[in-house]
Amino acid sequence: MDIKEYEAMSKIDLPESERALISEKAGMLKESFLSLASVGTNGVEALVTVLDIQNVLRPDISVKPFSRKELLENAPASHDGYFEAPKTLD
Amino acid sequence: MSYEVVIGLEVHVELSTQSKLFCGCSAMFGADPNENVCPACSGMPGMPAVTNKKAVELGIAAGLLTNSEITRVMTFDKKNYFYPDLPTGYQITQLFAPICKNGWIDIETGSGVRRITLKQIHIEEDAGKLVHDNRCDASLIDFNRTSVPLIEIVSNPDLRTSEEVVAYLSKLRLLLSFAGISDCKMQEGSMRCDVNISVRRSGSGKLGTRTEIKNLNSFKAIARAIEYESERHIEALETGCETIIQETRRFDDGKGETFSMRGKEDATDYRYFPNPELMPVCISDEWIEAVRATLPETAQDKFTRLTKELNLPEYDAKIITGSRNLSVIFDETMQRFHNPKEIANWIIVELLSIAKGDNKGEDDIVIDEKKFATLMKLCENKTINRNVAKKILIKVFEEGVDPERYVEEHKLGMVTDTAFLENIVRDVLLENEKSVLEYKNGNQKVIGFFVGKIMNKSQGKADPKIVNELLRKLLDD
Amino acid sequence: MSYYISGCMTGKNDQTLVAIEDSIMQKGRPVTAGSKILSGFTSPLDATVISRLEAGGYAVSGKTKMREFGLLPLCEEACEASGAVRAVADGAVSFALCNDFSGVTRREAAENGICYIHPTYGCVSRYGLIPSACSMDQIGIVCRDIVEGFGLLSVIAGNDEKDGAMYPDKSYVYEPLDKKIKAFVPENVLTAAIPEDKAAVLALSSHFDGVSTELAYFDVLNKAQYILSCAEISANLSRYDGVKFGFRADRYNNLDGLYVNTRTQGFGLDAKLALIMGSMVLSKEYYTPCYEKALKLRRVIKDSLDFKSYDVILLPLRITGGAYESSAVHALAALAGLPCVSFSYNGGGVQILAAPKNENALLTVVKAVTR
Repeated sequence: MDIKEYEAMSKIDLPESERALISEKAGMLKESFLSLASVGTNGVEALVTVLDIQNVLRPDISVKPFSRKELLENAPASHDGYFEAPKTLD
Repeated sequence: MSYEVVIGLEVHVELSTQSKLFCGCSAMFGADPNENVCPACSGMPGMPAVTNKKAVELGIAAGLLTNSEITRVMTFDKKNYFYPDLPTGYQITQLFAPICKNGWIDIETGSGVRRITLKQIHIEEDAGKLVHDNRCDASLIDFNRTSVPLIEIVSNPDLRTSEEVVAYLSKLRLLLSFAGISDCKMQEGSMRCDVNISVRRSGSGKLGTRTEIKNLNSFKAIARAIEYESERHIEALETGCETIIQETRRFDDGKGETFSMRGKEDATDYRYFPNPELMPVCISDEWIEAVRATLPETAQDKFTRLTKELNLPEYDAKIITGSRNLSVIFDETMQRFHNPKEIANWIIVELLSIAKGDNKGEDDIVIDEKKFATLMKLCENKTINRNVAKKILIKVFEEGVDPERYVEEHKLGMVTDTAFLENIVRDVLLENEKSVLEYKNGNQKVIGFFVGKIMNKSQGKADPKIVNELLRKLLDD
Repeated sequence: MSYYISGCMTGKNDQTLVAIEDSIMQKGRPVTAGSKILSGFTSPLDATVISRLEAGGYAVSGKTKMREFGLLPLCEEACEASGAVRAVADGAVSFALCNDFSGVTRREAAENGICYIHPTYGCVSRYGLIPSACSMDQIGIVCRDIVEGFGLLSVIAGNDEKDGAMYPDKSYVYEPLDKKIKAFVPENVLTAAIPEDKAAVLALSSHFDGVSTELAYFDVLNKAQYILSCAEISANLSRYDGVKFGFRADRYNNLDGLYVNTRTQGFGLDAKLALIMGSMVLSKEYYTPCYEKALKLRRVIKDSLDFKSYDVILLPLRITGGAYESSAVHALAALAGLPCVSFSYNGGGVQILAAPKNENALLTVVKAVTR
């Protein structure tokens, strides 16, 4: 199965050493998934969560349990209170 | 060959909540970078999203104000793409069951009233902000704005001119700001507009190729961008020298032109899917009515009330109801001083010009309505004259002085001692014999000159009524 | 100790020590979810389960090694059981907490002579759990003694306002039911079982009356689960991009390069497979036949269960086939949000499932057969 399209979507680029194995597994899985077409589900509504619960809502109160310092501590690169990443292309 | 320009708008509006859509961080504008951030809205794992109730209610309110159908079972979805201002790599938005559908608002332009229909309104989280730092050739990322709640108002392609577009946006802004749903300030980014535009031959049922214009920062820029882009489309259709392709374009405010972005966005497959950790929100009739009951008077209703009940001239009412801030100032002052025409005058003539001098627009004026009302009362009961009052207003606006105390401290009370004033009038007339002669020769305008001189000699505190009476008496002798 | 990644408490075996799989966050400590992509990340928060177990008199012994994001080992076979299972099996601790959405841990536990409790989905807070598949993730308990395991469960389970996908019940009391348990022992699943487990299930089921009809949709359970989990995982793994925290590739030319190199180097084979399949099943072309189909199957599968006719479902832990095929036997709990316990019995591995929030039926069975 040609997985390059999905690699791009996932922002990965498999080295050749990995591609053969993963393509093979991907192909097997894809075939397995598509075989589901034979299982009848006409008129059935999708079930996104098994919980039959609604309206889990939070009151509109602002809190600040974490400091900026704590959050930036994990950043591989930061500058003047900002997280830093290579420039975007536009 | 005549052409029809077809425009649809996607307006993003930041909701006026205290906290963000899916975490408890502050949603307030203007904080230092990354001060309103937690692990959830900076993309760290481990903090499940929990929906902000107020955001849902503001969405319901927006639906009510736009005559929309409110969805009874509302859900959230994940929209997947990579960009540095999107720390989790997905935006939580609504594709499958947006909060509202099929609304409309009426707009008024030079050509009359038109109804603009809406496709839908959905709630979604905002992204962060990127700051490009040339010095270190990097993108600096601030997640303060990440997950601030937005509603996206999607119109149908019903608009036809830039005038209609501005009328539509102004109407939306009035509706939403009066209801406290958003402060709709384009300059702060709490209201943003993307324009979808295409051109077709008049009478054609088919839509032309559509382009999207982003990065428009003011109503003016939007109007100019529409003018430019519609011309570009028309020229392409007429001369064929350019082919219009479906793409996203940016507007260069300086040049007044649109230019192509790298077009990758259109090819992105966002792989939307329902968010399984956010339970559906069931919106009952009772809840909708409860929200409806909290809606304040709309600008439209206020205009009717000011003109019909309070007998304000339409001109005055239009200015006051054209800005939520001015309306609030008007209402609050009315609570303390029951003279609508006086208040309207003071706001429209004096307050707006003071603010303009201070580079502030109608939406930015801050004044203590209690002190404002007091100033008008002092004028009405003749404690001070109008000129003095105008000067004190500046002090109230800039420094927040208490008018009564200020009058006392600076002895600005109106001078009504007739004998005292008569002396001054006589002095002025004696000093300006030439002007007296002009008056006797029929030049009525000289009165104003005399009044000015008398005011000067009385530090501006003379009672103008008495001054005028005295002048007439002495001059006509 | 080879079970732990870091921070292990030495000393004698304390009844109240709990090992924590490295998917559960502890404030100020590194956490990796078994992945290189999180190397260097220090957790800024404590998972709710950690605060609760500490308040309940338990103590964290250390973080155990785990398979990357708890994924099904389709590309890379696991050469040894997870650190959590080994630590309990060796007697170093009495309990360990894990997220067993894929079902591998409960099988490993039984294979090593110990037990696993997988709670009802929505009973234990996921705050502070590094997410894999949100609709299936649930923190469960590796234990030597199931009854004691339920004691720990009652301490950590209960509604947490910081996790919106939970039942409202503030606490749970686990005690045996005073009734005769009826068991569903699906014959089609039994036929697929490896011999030891088939024998174990039959021996276990002899204690109970019940039904032995077929388990509906058995042959599609693994497919539905993998589709849904890989889709959710692909979205949950997008945040790992080298920008804000964790691993960042050494070399890259631009932003895209940073993303691609970081993620390609940082993720293992099974994670990459899940990313690719997740992107595929959510793509425009395959959303309807794959993802939406699996969501519909989830409903028919859940609806096909009839907990009025039986209290528990008895299943083998291992059926024939590779990792993917044999995951069918674990998928039911994940798809329907059912609680499950696994243990070894009569030389084989068994698992018992019950209706949501009916852990008491499981406890009843366990007490009945381990008398």
